[in-house]
Amino acid sequence: MTDASQVTVNRPSTFKSSAFTRIAAIARNAFREAVRDRVLYNLVFFVLLLTAAAIFLGELSGGQERKIIVDLGLSAMLLFGVFISIFVGVGLVYKEIERRTIYAIFSKPVGRGEFLVGKYLGLCLTLLVNVVVMGLGVSLALIYVSRGWDPLALTIWPAVMLIYVELMILTGVAMLFSAFSSPALSALLTFFIFIIGHFSTDLKSLATSMGTAPARWFFGALYYLLPNLSNFSYITPAAHGVRPPLALAITSIVYAVLYIAIILAAATLVLNRRNFK
Amino acid sequence: MSSLRITGVEAALLGFVAVGLMSVVLLSRFIDQHRPVTDPAVAEESLYLNGNTVRRLSLGFNGLAADWYWMRSLQYVGGKVINTPNISLDNLGALNLKLLAPLLDSATTLDPHFLEPYQYAAIVLPAVNIDEAIRITTKGIEANPSEWRLYQHLGYIYWQKGDYQTASEMYGRGAQNPQAPAWMMAMKAKMAAEGGSRSTAREIYTRMLEQASDPDVQKMARAHLLQLASLDQRDLITRVLNDYKQKMSACPSNWQVIAPTLNALKLSLDRTGTPFDPAGYPYLLKTDSCSVELNPNSDIPPF
Repeated sequence: MTDASQVTVNRPSTFKSSAFTRIAAIARNAFREAVRDRVLYNLVFFVLLLTAAAIFLGELSGGQERKIIVDLGLSAMLLFGVFISIFVGVGLVYKEIERRTIYAIFSKPVGRGEFLVGKYLGLCLTLLVNVVVMGLGVSLALIYVSRGWDPLALTIWPAVMLIYVELMILTGVAMLFSAFSSPALSALLTFFIFIIGHFSTDLKSLATSMGTAPARWFFGALYYLLPNLSNFSYITPAAHGVRPPLALAITSIVYAVLYIAIILAAATLVLNRRNFK
Repeated sequence: MSSLRITGVEAALLGFVAVGLMSVVLLSRFIDQHRPVTDPAVAEESLYLNGNTVRRLSLGFNGLAADWYWMRSLQYVGGKVINTPNISLDNLGALNLKLLAPLLDSATTLDPHFLEPYQYAAIVLPAVNIDEAIRITTKGIEANPSEWRLYQHLGYIYWQKGDYQTASEMYGRGAQNPQAPAWMMAMKAKMAAEGGSRSTAREIYTRMLEQASDPDVQKMARAHLLQLASLDQRDLITRVLNDYKQKMSACPSNWQVIAPTLNALKLSLDRTGTPFDPAGYPYLLKTDSCSVELNPNSDIPPF
């Protein structure tokens, strides 16, 4: 039985506060479970990668170590995060169903939406720890190759935040798929969403360049309905010391929050329709 | 806790892993030694994907892909240069670097704000394909109109081409940028008035040395500055030799004879009066032709 089934519920003073407590308990347990599953071990590979890059790039990059460390570090952060989001995200709900521990959870006063949101936040917390440690690693590597303080060590953080927001969306997508499909298929579908999400500019140009109205509608709908992950791609400018404009960063975060809320609502709907009797 | 004692089977398995790994290393070395020589046509095959396609496929990792293409460009040139160690970076035309333009083009398409490949294109490409060098640098200016350095690079390409008027125009356009240093405007005038002169070349390479972050580019600029200084010195020495020959109707038999005159010209001499080039090597006196030559061991590239 996993920890999520051992959720203890304090006596609620109001419905709102008790829901929060339940979600927090599930999130905490999901985080512990991820840590116990050695998800954070990827940090070791990340540190090794950055250390090797910091040592060897000087000879290979023609004086461009700083840019390449940022590109490499933030890209690795995104890639490792995508793998964690997908492979841990698709298993969060499925494992509980497979091990039948979900019955024990739902026998307690825990709503299905609360369960989903709790699991989601638990994985987001894992990703946050991952992203923050990796961000610190990149900053330290920059300070090392610059032989002293480097302003890039600070200016990369808005891009790090946008990477994290992108991973939050992807985690939501993985959970939505895992609410009605097998882990393998969910992982595949989530990966497709990651790819298509970065092709959104092409979807938009396809929508405008198509000859027939139905085709234009189809690609237009895909463009607006699928998550536009290119909104969060700020790695390349970050390597040049460019921060995302504040207005763009805020609207991208609002877009992400809205999108995540929609995904989790849809996942809750799907989970509510499932029969666990 | 499991026991640290190793059973016979485990020892055999460990031994097998160790022997197996050693065999793999030996076998790999054997295969590498007996690998047929790569067909140059295959090694120089055009890139399958152009920069725009790679940009689409890069899923937000376009900065990293640009870095990859940049490092491939350096390795590609480095791999060819390694067999001709004393060749100058701006004189690689004989090395058949036909993949360099597509590699730099891809790097700059993937990350149009990555300035280093533009500089590399401006320095290395003109000897290989000057039209591509102009096209890539112009593309860089379109993507980074506020970068005055790109105008400097384009001016340098036109200067190498011998088109001093267009070079002057490029320096002038770059000088209009509020962040451009004052010498860009001076360069515009100098290029228009005396584009082919040695002092213009000295100015170009001094500015290049100041701004380049690539050690190879710095090395090349430094070599050109030494070469220009050496040319000035050789002009002085030749004048002294000609004066002596005119007066004495013979060439000096050794450096000692004209040492006081050379010393007065502030050339660095050793005890025997032999002048040294800017790299610290003694010049050679050719008494048969009454001329001065660079020492073959000198780091200064021959003109």
